[in-house]
Amino acid sequence: MFTSIIKRDGRTQDFHESKITDAIFKGLQAVSEADRQQAMELTLEVMKKIRAKYKEDSFSVENVQDIVETVLIENGLAKSAKSYILYRENRSRLREARSELMDAVSEILLETNRENANIGNSPSAKVLQISEVASKNYYLKRMLPEKEANSHINGDIYIHDLSWYGKTLTCLQIPLDRLLREGFNNGHGYIRPPKGIKTAAALAAIILQSNQNDMHGGQSFAYFDRDMAVYVELEKKRQDKLIRSNLELLGLSADETKLEALVLERTKEETYQAMEGFIYNLNTMHSRAGAQVPFSSINFGTDTSEAGRMVTECFLLAYEKGLGKGEAPLFPNVCFKLKEDVNFEPEDPNYDLFQLSMRVACKRLFPNFSFQDSSFNKQFRDEEVAYMGCRTRVISNCNGPAVTNSRGNLSFTTINLPRLAIRAEKDLSCFWKSLDEMLEHCVQQLITRYNVQKKLKVKDFPFLMGQKLFLDSEGLSPNDSIEKSIRHGTLSIGFIGLAECLVALTGKHHGESAEAQALGISIVSHMRRRCDEAVQKYSLNFSLLATPAEQLSGKFTKPDAEQYGVIPGVTDKEWYTNSFHVPVEYQISAMDKIALEGPYHKYCNAGHISYVELPSAPEHNLEAFEALIRAMAEADMGYAAVNFPVDICCDCGLNGVISEDSCPKCGGSNISRVRRITGYLSTLDRFNDSKLAEVQYRQVHQKF
Amino acid sequence: MRLSGITPESFVDGPGLRFVIFTQGCLHHCSHCHNPESWPGDAGKEFSVRQVIRLLKRQKKSKQGITFSGGEPFLQAAELAQLALAARQMALDVVTYTGFTYEQLIKNNDPDIKALLYASDILIDGKYMHELRDIGLQFRGSSNQRIIDVMATKNNGQVVLYHFEQFAKKNAPK
Repeated sequence: MFTSIIKRDGRTQDFHESKITDAIFKGLQAVSEADRQQAMELTLEVMKKIRAKYKEDSFSVENVQDIVETVLIENGLAKSAKSYILYRENRSRLREARSELMDAVSEILLETNRENANIGNSPSAKVLQISEVASKNYYLKRMLPEKEANSHINGDIYIHDLSWYGKTLTCLQIPLDRLLREGFNNGHGYIRPPKGIKTAAALAAIILQSNQNDMHGGQSFAYFDRDMAVYVELEKKRQDKLIRSNLELLGLSADETKLEALVLERTKEETYQAMEGFIYNLNTMHSRAGAQVPFSSINFGTDTSEAGRMVTECFLLAYEKGLGKGEAPLFPNVCFKLKEDVNFEPEDPNYDLFQLSMRVACKRLFPNFSFQDSSFNKQFRDEEVAYMGCRTRVISNCNGPAVTNSRGNLSFTTINLPRLAIRAEKDLSCFWKSLDEMLEHCVQQLITRYNVQKKLKVKDFPFLMGQKLFLDSEGLSPNDSIEKSIRHGTLSIGFIGLAECLVALTGKHHGESAEAQALGISIVSHMRRRCDEAVQKYSLNFSLLATPAEQLSGKFTKPDAEQYGVIPGVTDKEWYTNSFHVPVEYQISAMDKIALEGPYHKYCNAGHISYVELPSAPEHNLEAFEALIRAMAEADMGYAAVNFPVDICCDCGLNGVISEDSCPKCGGSNISRVRRITGYLSTLDRFNDSKLAEVQYRQVHQKF
Repeated sequence: MRLSGITPESFVDGPGLRFVIFTQGCLHHCSHCHNPESWPGDAGKEFSVRQVIRLLKRQKKSKQGITFSGGEPFLQAAELAQLALAARQMALDVVTYTGFTYEQLIKNNDPDIKALLYASDILIDGKYMHELRDIGLQFRGSSNQRIIDVMATKNNGQVVLYHFEQFAKKNAPK
C-alpha cells in the first residue's frame, strides 16, 4: 500500500487515491456528463500501473499525471484526456503565477523595495507592498486585455499605479474652503467648522490624510493662503475677546492702539504655531495605506489680505525652521504662485513674500514656483492654476467648468519614446507611424481603465465622493456610479526620454543641436495634438504629461539595453532622461537649459516642470535666484524649481553642502542628504538604484 | 589683454547672474589661493577688448553685470576700464576684485588704475587670508576683505561698504 507521494516542490505528502479520482472526474466533467463510478474504475487502473512501475513511495505527482493520461487514452477517452491535459496546464499556470507572487513576497520581506522614495521599511510598508504586488498580478493576468497587459510587461508603455488600477483615481485639488466652512464627516462622526487657526490647520491635515486613503496620488490645496485666511480673521476676533475679558477680570483698561497691536501679535504667534503643527503632522502621519505620509501639496502666495499674507509668511518661516532638530520637512510639496501685479515686481504687495520664498528655498529646496502669467495659464482669468505633487496640472474641461478645485487626474500611462526611436532605425516616417500607433494604443488603454473606474460607486469612496469632494458628486447617492463626477477628471498620456529618442533618431539630443530641438518640439506638439483630437472624439479630458520618471527610470532602459544592445547616448546609462529635460549629465548653462526646455511646457498641459542645478544654495545671492526665476517666466514655463545639494548634520543642525563624511562643525557622522526626486523631496538613503545613479551624474550649471 | 578664463554665468562673484573675466597674472600669491594657475603673467590666452565685448553681447541676457577677477585685474587696468565702460553702456554693472586694498589703489596716481576703479560699481578688496577664512561670507573668502561702494566712497572721502537691499529679513517668532 502506498502511503506518501512526492509533491512538485519536493516535499512528501500523504497519498490519497481519492485525489486521483477527483482529478479524473474533473477531466471527464469537462467533456461530457460526468460519471463518478467511471472515474473510480479508471483510478483502479491507474493504481495498477503505478504499482507495476514504482516501488513504494518513490513516485511524484507528475508521474501519476502521466499515467492518468495514458489510461484515459487507452480507454478511448481521448477527448477527456485532452481536457485533463488542459486542466493540468491551467493548474500549473496558476501555480506558477502563485510562485512568482510568492517569490515577490519573499523578496519584499527581505527589504521593502525602493520603487517609491516615500516608502519606509516598516511592517505596514511590507504588507502594503505585498498587497500591491498581488493586486498588480491580478490586474495584469485577470483583468487587462492581453494587448494592454503585454505592452506594459514588455516595456512599450508603463501603466502607472497599476496596483490601484480598478480601485481608485489618482489625485485631487481638495476644496479646502468648503470643507472647513461646512464641516465634514470622515467616517466616525461630524466635524464642526473650526473657530481658530490652530484647529483649522489641524483639520486641514486630517482632510489631506482622509482623502489620501481614498486615492493613490497627490493631495493638494490650491488656495491655501486664501482658505486659511478666514480662520486667521476668526483667530483675531478670538484673541481680541480673550484679551479684553482678561483685562476686565483684572479690572484694568488699556490703550486701544496697544491692545490692537497685542491682538495682532498674538494672532501671528498662533498662526505660526498652527503652520508648524501642520508641517509636523504632514511629516509624521504615515497614513497613506498605513505606510507612507500623504503626498501633500499646498499652493499659495497670491492672497494680498493681511490674514492671507500672514498665512503665507508664517508657513514659510515654519518651513524654513524645519522639524524638531532642524531637519528638512519633506512634505508638503510647496508651490509659490507668481503673478503679475501681485508679487512679481518690487512695487507689488506680495513681493516681500516672493523674496522670502526664495530665501526659504535656498535652505529647503521648496517652494517651487508656478507662473500664473505663462501663455497657457493666463487664459484662465478667474482661476489660479495650481500644481500638485511633482507636476500635475488640471484645468481645461470638456465636460464642465475649467476650474482648479475639486478635480484631478484619473490615470496616466507613459510611452517609452526611446524604444520607438531605436526601432525606427533613423527612419523618421517609420518613427511617426509607430508613435501614432502607440498614442492610439494609450488612448484605448486609458479608456479601458476609465470604463472600469466609472463603474465604481460613491460608497467605494467614503470621503472623496461621500463628502462630495469631486466636482458634480453633490447629487449622487451611495449606490450611484461615479461616472457623472469623474468625467471632469483627466486621462493623461505621458512620455519619457525625449533626449534619448532624439539621439537615436538624429545622433544628437536637443541640448546639442538646434535641429534636434526642432524635431523635439514637433514630436511633443504632435503628441499634444493627438490628445486634443481624443478629447473631441471621446468627450473625455485627455492631456499630455511630462512624466515624473521616478518608478520608470530603470524599467524601460534595462530591457531596451538587453534587447537592442548598448547604444551610446541612448541605452548606455541606467535611466532615461525625465520627460523633455536636457540630460542631467550634459554640461550646459542654466540660461541655455531654461531657453531649451521652456517651449515644451505649453504642450504638456497635464503637467510639466523644469529644474536648474546649482553647485550650492545661492543664499547670499537672491538676485541670481530671482534672475533664474525671471528667465523661467520669460521662457514661458509653467512650473519650475532650482536644485542644489542640501546636507544637514542631524547632530548639530549645520545646513549646507557637506562634502566630507562627517560634519565640519561638530564632527558628527549622522548627515541627512536631502535631494529632489521627481518633484518630491527625499533623503538619499531612500532613492531607488537608478535614481541614485542619476543624482550622481547631475551636472551643475556652474563649476567652482 | 591676457585672460586665464571666462565664466559666462556665475552665481557667486557678485550680486545677480554675472559674466566673469579672470585675468592672467598675479603678484599677491596668497596662501591657499583658489586659482594659482592664474599667477604667471605669460600663461593663459591673449584676447582683444573687442573680442571680449563681442562675447559679452551674446551673453548679456538676464545678466546683472560683469565681474573682473583673477589674477590681479589692476595689472591690466587700461583694457579692463575700456571693457567696464562698454559693459555700462549695455546697462550692466561692474564688480572688480583686487588683492590690493582701496587705500593702496588711490595712493597710486596711475590714470589707468583710477579709470578702472571709478568704472566699477563695487570693489571687493584685500588679499585672501586663509586664517580669516569664513565660508559663510557673501562673495568673499576671508573676513578682512570688504565689499566697497565705489561711488559713495568717492563722494564721502572714506570707505563706504556696499549696502544690499534686504527684502527678506523676517524671522520666525521664538
